[in-house]
Amino acid sequence: MFRFQKDQKIANIAGVKIGGNPGELPTALAGTIFYEGHDIVEDANEGLFDRKIAENLLNSQRASSDETGNPCLVHIFGNTGQALRNYIDFVSEITDSPFLIDSPDPLARMAVAEYVSEIGLGDRAVYNSINMTIGEKERKVLKDSDIDSSIVLGFNAMDSGFKGRMQLLESGTSSMDKGLIDIALECGMCNILIDPGITPMGNGSGVSLRITLAAKAKWGLPVGSGIHNAPSSWEWLRDKKKHDPLVFKMCDIASAVMQQAAAGNFVLYGPIENAPYIFPVAAMSDIMIYESAEEFEIEPASSHPFNRLI
Amino acid sequence: MDTVSEKWPVTKGDFSAGNPKSCIAVVTLASSMPLFEKAAIWGSCKTENLGAEKVVMNVVSNCNIRYVLLCGGESRGHLAGQTLKALYENGIDEDGRILGSEGAIPFIENLEIETIQRFRQQVELIDRTGLTDIDEIYSIVDNYHDSEKPFEASPISFRKAVRKYKPPESISADILISEKVVMDAFSGLIYEIA
Repeated sequence: MFRFQKDQKIANIAGVKIGGNPGELPTALAGTIFYEGHDIVEDANEGLFDRKIAENLLNSQRASSDETGNPCLVHIFGNTGQALRNYIDFVSEITDSPFLIDSPDPLARMAVAEYVSEIGLGDRAVYNSINMTIGEKERKVLKDSDIDSSIVLGFNAMDSGFKGRMQLLESGTSSMDKGLIDIALECGMCNILIDPGITPMGNGSGVSLRITLAAKAKWGLPVGSGIHNAPSSWEWLRDKKKHDPLVFKMCDIASAVMQQAAAGNFVLYGPIENAPYIFPVAAMSDIMIYESAEEFEIEPASSHPFNRLI
Repeated sequence: MDTVSEKWPVTKGDFSAGNPKSCIAVVTLASSMPLFEKAAIWGSCKTENLGAEKVVMNVVSNCNIRYVLLCGGESRGHLAGQTLKALYENGIDEDGRILGSEGAIPFIENLEIETIQRFRQQVELIDRTGLTDIDEIYSIVDNYHDSEKPFEASPISFRKAVRKYKPPESISADILISEKVVMDAFSGLIYEIA
């Protein structure tokens, strides 16, 4: 479809490669486990869960990934440091995939950044996320940790338009000393994954698609998002779900295609239960995107769905 | 004098309107509970930024609302309940940061400080965060729904900001589409080169 003039960087997170020009690498897909409301979680504070079902979910994602060639990551969500530690212990035993550490509580994230460094898993962890509220303490914890991969969240709550988000990434807001990309570099991040931040439909959900293009053009960094959060917070669609859950699921999964078509390199696709559906959809997009870029002398990776499924 | 804006609720979300003349709005935070129609508006608020904004917008656009009941389970990490309480008690600074909020990204982007001040003046916050007993919640609504006169001011109306397109001052060919067609990534313009 198109090619960026600027060289595109490729992140390598424990062997999983993310980035490049459209058509080059398969889109990396991260399914969320232990998310808010996940019915396998028995105690969200302690991190207790049904281990058998969790194992099946992780294996299902892996099987889908092996089939299409789209690399997978495990997006681990937890509310407390204790819960995240339990989840990471389990996930790292079952799979060798990289995993994202996600919590809205910075104290929980920081506790786990120290923990994964202690147990030697820093190279498989992706910190989610370095965002506009990062303080000195969190910066120091990250700098001292072994984690070298992070999502950098472009959501600017003071100015959520295109310019505001780009400014947050480049030079920061009025209360910051520098932009988030420089902060991430200072924190020792070699693998910076930009997430423009998804806002609900009606609140600028599409801005992230423009940022994807602009951020790749400007910095050449891998960009992606949890774009399914836009349809999943759409009231009209939630109403439809009451009558036909398939309608909701289709929109939720199909949103990934928008991110891919806008040159996205990774998609946080939401509930890991959707793995058997999202991987074929993403593979289909990857194949068509590659075929649109053939004339730019783009070579698809050997694991690309074009080489695996055609 | 009209006490309620036209087309109220003025913003949509995971909530339903009950009786617009009622004095009480119910915010069930991260919980979902069946609407009690004696409340003016009833529904969840899970986020400390856009969610909180919507609560404020729907309150200041209806002068009949004099109480906001916070109940239901707190939204983890985002702390929408603690944030609404902080917003009510402390307001926002000039950057839009909600003072005293412990939520993840607690900012108000789309409302003026005066609108927040109006919210703080118009209502009394009843903080029962954690309360999920539906009978007790209904009882509180029953006690408050017709207990106060409307706030003496006009309801605040909100208009969607119209963004004017500004042609870019300069363009560059960041993205190649074909030999003669390129795209400027920042402006989003696709154009043909000679």
